[in-house]
Amino acid sequence: MSPRTNNLLLGAALCAAMVSAHGVGAQEARLLSIRDDATRNRVRIFVEAARLRGTPTEPLVSRALEGIAFKADAKRIEQALAALEKRMRRAKELLAPHATVDELAAAADAIANRVPEKAISDLRRIAPRRTITVEIGVLTELVAKGVKPSVAATMVRDLMAKGATGAQLTELNAAVQQDVALGVTPMEALVLRTRGVMSLLPPAASVNAAQRP
Amino acid sequence: MIGNMVDTMDDERDEVIARVVGALSPFPQPRSAAVARVLMAVRARRAQPVSRLRRAIWWAEDTAVSAKAAGLLAAASLAIGFVARGTMTQQATFGGAESASIEMQPVASVSSAVPVAMAFELANAKTVSVVGDFNGWDPAANPMQRVGANGPWSTTLLAKPGRHTYAFLVDGTTLVADPRASKAKNPDFGGDASVLMVRTP
Repeated sequence: MSPRTNNLLLGAALCAAMVSAHGVGAQEARLLSIRDDATRNRVRIFVEAARLRGTPTEPLVSRALEGIAFKADAKRIEQALAALEKRMRRAKELLAPHATVDELAAAADAIANRVPEKAISDLRRIAPRRTITVEIGVLTELVAKGVKPSVAATMVRDLMAKGATGAQLTELNAAVQQDVALGVTPMEALVLRTRGVMSLLPPAASVNAAQRP
Repeated sequence: MIGNMVDTMDDERDEVIARVVGALSPFPQPRSAAVARVLMAVRARRAQPVSRLRRAIWWAEDTAVSAKAAGLLAAASLAIGFVARGTMTQQATFGGAESASIEMQPVASVSSAVPVAMAFELANAKTVSVVGDFNGWDPAANPMQRVGANGPWSTTLLAKPGRHTYAFLVDGTTLVADPRASKAKNPDFGGDASVLMVRTP
């Protein structure tokens, strides 16, 4: 091969390497949408430092841009990022040994909404080998809408343990919200709707067999 | 006598080494924020595309690389790229030594996004877009189109199963919560957002 061909081959390989590492570049481009230089710089430093600490940065970038959308100043955004990172690290412990970025973000959101931490680790224990983003989200929403956290945690945990799917839990949440809009208390609505879903679930023995890896 | 001189030189060398080690070892662990600043400064210096391109062209014309060297470098570049891609796109691992225990879910078990239709009625708006955690609060990601001359605004977006918060960005400046959706308090930034629950397909 001629020297120029060799150089072209090398250039192509380097281009491929750059393209394959595009994730970080995309994140950088998103940060460029922050118009204020000082705010952008503070966010960038925080995100880069978080990356070095091993924290997934995508939820942090998203939270920073949420702050921009809500016209928060740099200090407030930085405080929000610090709080989110702290919650994500706690979420990581609760979801160990497996967690996706979406699960971590969902669990961090749950912690922010005062979902009991034990409830999150209970959900992971029930489903150690599949994503539980939806289940955590339903639990968070129930608590955020006024269901007593311990009751919501027990109901969702029991439903999951009996084999309720994420889709069934989402339907349950929607039904509870409708009942609340009609004047039923969140607690009553949840108890009522949980009974309804329970009646559709298979016996415990077949659930245990299905959840085995 | 020569033996004594050698011993003396050895002692002096040991002493110098000990002083160097002593001078270097008390360095504290760098703070991650400081390391981040340095990395960003380096990255900023590297990100000067015109001069980099000029240097690359000059190098390509004047430098001959052997086929073996080019092949090795190409293979190394691809390997680095794919390792970097795996690290950067998965990102769920807390890579620090203190948190090395967490593992990634297999990719197949990670939920993929599903289409969600959105509608919003606001007659006076000139532009409306949906912003939320599903699109990184990016105003350009999901612009809405008006249905008819004075009809509602609508769009279809992609969101992963789970709980999301969102709002409508009206005329590029004002955030408005969805009047037909459940509200979510925003403890970090104040103001109300709306909740979108996306079910597993």
